[in-house]
Amino acid sequence: MKIVVFTKAAVPLSSAIRIDPKTGTLIREGVPLTANVWDRDAVEFALKLRDRYGGEVIALSMAPPSGIPALESLIGMGVDRAILASDRAFAGADTWATAHVLAKTIEKFIPDYDLIVTGEETIDSTTAHIGAQTASWLGVPYVYYVYDAEIKGRTIVVRRFLEDEGVDEVYEVEMPAVVSVLKGSQVPREISLSRKLAARERIQTISNKELGLDPECVGLRGSPTVVAGMAPAVYPPRKKIVLQGESGEVARKLVEALKQEGIL
Amino acid sequence: MWVYLERDGDKRLKDVGLELLGKARELAQKLGNSEVGGVIVAGSEEMAREAIYHGADKVVIIDNPDLKTYTPMEYAEAIAQVVQKYKPEIFLIGATKRGRELAAYIANTLTTGITADCTALEVDPKTRDLLQIRPTFGGTQLATIRTPQRRPQMASVRPGVFPKPQRDTSRTGEIIVERVEIPTRRTRLVSIEKRIERDIADLPPVESADVVVAGGRGLGSAEGFKLLIDLAKLLNGTVGASLMAVRAGWAPHTRQIGQTGKTIRPRLYIAVGISGAIQHLMGITEAKTIVAINPDPHAPIMENADYAVVGDYKQILPALIEELRRLKNQR
Ligand SMILES: Cc1cc2nc3c(=O)[nH]c(=O)nc-3n(C[C@H](O)[C@H](O)[C@H](O)COP(=O)(O)OP(=O)(O)OC[C@H]3O[C@@H](n4cnc5c(N)ncnc54)[C@H](O)[C@@H]3O)c2cc1C
Ligand SMILES: Cc1cc2nc3c(=O)[nH]c(=O)nc-3n(C[C@H](O)[C@H](O)[C@H](O)COP(=O)(O)OP(=O)(O)OC[C@H]3O[C@@H](n4cnc5c(N)ncnc54)[C@H](O)[C@@H]3O)c2cc1C
Repeated sequence: MKIVVFTKAAVPLSSAIRIDPKTGTLIREGVPLTANVWDRDAVEFALKLRDRYGGEVIALSMAPPSGIPALESLIGMGVDRAILASDRAFAGADTWATAHVLAKTIEKFIPDYDLIVTGEETIDSTTAHIGAQTASWLGVPYVYYVYDAEIKGRTIVVRRFLEDEGVDEVYEVEMPAVVSVLKGSQVPREISLSRKLAARERIQTISNKELGLDPECVGLRGSPTVVAGMAPAVYPPRKKIVLQGESGEVARKLVEALKQEGIL
Repeated sequence: MWVYLERDGDKRLKDVGLELLGKARELAQKLGNSEVGGVIVAGSEEMAREAIYHGADKVVIIDNPDLKTYTPMEYAEAIAQVVQKYKPEIFLIGATKRGRELAAYIANTLTTGITADCTALEVDPKTRDLLQIRPTFGGTQLATIRTPQRRPQMASVRPGVFPKPQRDTSRTGEIIVERVEIPTRRTRLVSIEKRIERDIADLPPVESADVVVAGGRGLGSAEGFKLLIDLAKLLNGTVGASLMAVRAGWAPHTRQIGQTGKTIRPRLYIAVGISGAIQHLMGITEAKTIVAINPDPHAPIMENADYAVVGDYKQILPALIEELRRLKNQR
């Protein structure tokens, strides 16, 4: 089994976000990037399959060089090796252009892959697009929200959960295929520090020189969507009316106020 | 201006598709009355008529017995073929779990871009661009995204963001049955079963309720939720929880509100024993009215409430429940 696991070197929510005023895209340079939290579920899922059926798990990320620590931490978890697709030309990519680079990297560098595993979504832009778009670029079937799987010959039998319908489904999918892993469904294993420290030599960085993609079809220039504006979200200011005192009295005041607002 | 109309089983359409038809109608008017269309996979004429009653001028039913059961790749391929044929300028998809699964594959097949989880949609009549507005970075920023060079312009929208339009049975429209061939199936459904989730009460999910009463660590025990359930029932609402209450095992994770839980837009949100951490507040910024019940007047939730009730919930809630019962008996 050759399993490719995707990871985004994401901007941790705790850090101050900076937006490029010209392009409206996120500035990822100079920001300490960490592997998207939900990708740890994907890695755990992939490692479990490898431990059961044998083979190799390869992490793949499109990111600036500051994305290397994210890949190192996944190697620390037990991923065998990693590929970083990194080029100035890839900067500012939307999901279409991101999936394009990821799919082409796989076609060229891991053509004999059996399975691609992604996180459900990222913590910083949460589109959940990349899995489906990669499947479309590669022309392979895909299933989202998977939490368990079994390999049967050339098919993978996946179990998934649709939270909004409260429904479990089992699908049989021909490989190669793409699956996204239900967030929070796995217990990611610990990072081995010694493995992580020696991870650098297991990371291969490739640029567009090796990939040879048309610069018009990658990065900001290749992105069909354009961020036309970014503004802090304004929410209705709150009234901040403090109600204090004997509880019966407070309850009466509150009910009166909610009646006035037309809620009761 | 077309909309994907997701089925809710074999009998009806999910509301989100109808909500999007309402929005599409509004945008179509701004673009000089362009046509509003809908696509249903393996649906019935009755469903198509419902779509017309809710604003569609034209509904395509994809008729292929092989598509009775849902599988992502095959559905996405079939929908993309219909979109390709009718060439709408704009194609909208409801961001249910299945909708999110289909949306980006369809966009990619049509070599166009897509914006996820828009909370507002506008059109620029000059360029005929769809302005796709979505919250990002946990709701702190609003991005406006355009797809200037490609058509159709695609966006997904979560259920409940736009109101469902009035049903108007006098509306008429065209129903077209399209036989769509799909490539050999590579995904097969083996089984489907409803999960019986142990919930704390037989109450609606948090994302669809008008009133949400939520509890946090300050409740001190699972017992505390009983009062919340009583209050929620009196208000025809439901119960929610903070991450800490979920971690304590007092409520299922499906009821968690916040950044890693649900984003809700109720008319009334009552936070009981919740401190109001930023990750929690992210899920309730669009609540119309917020009431907080907390003994600590400086808890962040109190700064972010319309009514900050200072006190112990064990005293406040019984008094509030009594007051509401009295009001109910009066009416
Ligand atoms: C504020 C903002 C809003 C945006 N909105 C949109 C939008 O609506 N539409 C759009 O097309 N683009 C959008 N983008 C661009 C988008 O964030 C990037 O293209 C991003 O690289 C991938 O999207 P995502 O983070 O949403 O990934 P998701 O699709 O949510 O990620 C799913 C999984 O795919 C994998 N993955 C994601 N990115 C990478 C990567 N770079 N390398 C390897 N694996 C990866 C991970 O396993 C991840 O768990 C937006 C960007 C910003 C800053
Ligand atoms: C990446 C990330 C994601 C997160 N996502 C979420 C999320 O989606 N949702 C979420 O909720 N949290 C989330 N959190 C956690 C969040 O930061 C807080 O830890 C959490 O919301 C606190 O829960 P709480 O308010 O119930 O508990 P606490 O912060 O402990 O607050 C308890 C409150 O109860 C009050 N209280 C005590 N006694 C009483 C009484 N008798 N009557 C009334 N009030 C009383 C106290 O004054 C206090 O204000 C996330 C954190 C991280 C890092």
